[in-house]
Amino acid sequence: MAAYPKIVEIIAAALPCEIERVKLEASLIDDLGAQSIDFLDIVFRLERAFKVKIPRGKIIEEARGSLSQAEFEQAGVVTPAGFERLKAFLSEVPPQRFASPLKVADIPRLFTTETFCKIVIRQQRAHPAAADAKPA
Amino acid sequence: MDAHFRAFSFVDRITSVREGKQIRGCYTIPDELHDFPLALVGEAVGQLAAWAAMAAVNFGQRPVAGLAGSIELLHAPRPGQRLELAAAVEHVDAESVEYRGTAHVDGTPVMRLHDCVGPMMPLADFDDPQKLRARFEELCRTGAVAGTFPGLPQMTFARTGGSAGQSVSATFQVPSKAPLFADHFPRRPIFPGSLLMHLNLQLGAVLASGIPPPGKSRWVPGIIRDMKLRSFIPPGTILRLEAKLKQHSPDHASLALETRAADQVIATASLALKVGDGL
Repeated sequence: MAAYPKIVEIIAAALPCEIERVKLEASLIDDLGAQSIDFLDIVFRLERAFKVKIPRGKIIEEARGSLSQAEFEQAGVVTPAGFERLKAFLSEVPPQRFASPLKVADIPRLFTTETFCKIVIRQQRAHPAAADAKPA
Repeated sequence: MDAHFRAFSFVDRITSVREGKQIRGCYTIPDELHDFPLALVGEAVGQLAAWAAMAAVNFGQRPVAGLAGSIELLHAPRPGQRLELAAAVEHVDAESVEYRGTAHVDGTPVMRLHDCVGPMMPLADFDDPQKLRARFEELCRTGAVAGTFPGLPQMTFARTGGSAGQSVSATFQVPSKAPLFADHFPRRPIFPGSLLMHLNLQLGAVLASGIPPPGKSRWVPGIIRDMKLRSFIPPGTILRLEAKLKQHSPDHASLALETRAADQVIATASLALKVGDGL
């Protein structure tokens, strides 16, 4: 994963925290103390560094896949079908971190360093020209 | 008198809006003020960008706080001068806005903001959407009555420690009540990030005064980088401010600025000092 060192550097700079703490499996909220503005900061820095466009607030929408919103969540709580879809989508997240019932608002608690690596790689694959660009 | 749109509003008129992306406006600094902190110029540019962003999402959301990649501090404007404001909105949706902006006085740039990002929050949580919509139309059509800003409340921090030229720490209690809270914001008062920037610049100046000056000149603030406000600051909050020297060379110094509330880091930035005659 060629992008990994740069992504770690970006996350450490955005939070801020020591670079050694940004492990691949670290939860950005629970392990590194990230807040919602930090996600915006990280996404913005990733976009600039990798010349990709990461749609805001679309991570959960992507995770939903073919499920409708009603199939994915009811009254702010992820449905059983949504729960399974989410576990598959966020396959990098250790299973024990998925606690049911899961509130939609708590989904970002699951995001790890690897989640952001996957996002960057997905966007690079979707836009191959960007993947050829060296990180800024 | 209702302080809404008066106590902390820094756009008098919107002169053009192009496709929700390019916005221009102006603000005349009231003549009777003693001074007008540079941080409020940043607030004015941010407010102009906020009008474009709110209009783009039909006043459903508004940007609140956020981060700035870099802010060039070029010249301090004086009371009575007119700020020509401009912002380019690079992206806006219900989640976030990204923009850059400038402020000029008589054709001379006083501030440039780059890579600014703000989370978009439900507007109705902070203000009355109908009132904001009407205000936007007024600003675009005729402009608003100028000169309503009464000045800032007393903002003095208490130094708590540090070592000369290396670090300085201080506490500041956000006022529990102040007219600005009726404007920022009527339904949810929040201490503005620009005023926190003002405090941090003051603290940075205290630290800079202890760094050996280059020759006969002195250190002046040059660029704020990676400024981020991570939490809302309600009235009455006790803030712990700290400035530390990160790097120092004959013609350059860099400070790390950090603000905590209840032991949580709520704001960070770095301040590059340059050699000069002062802003």
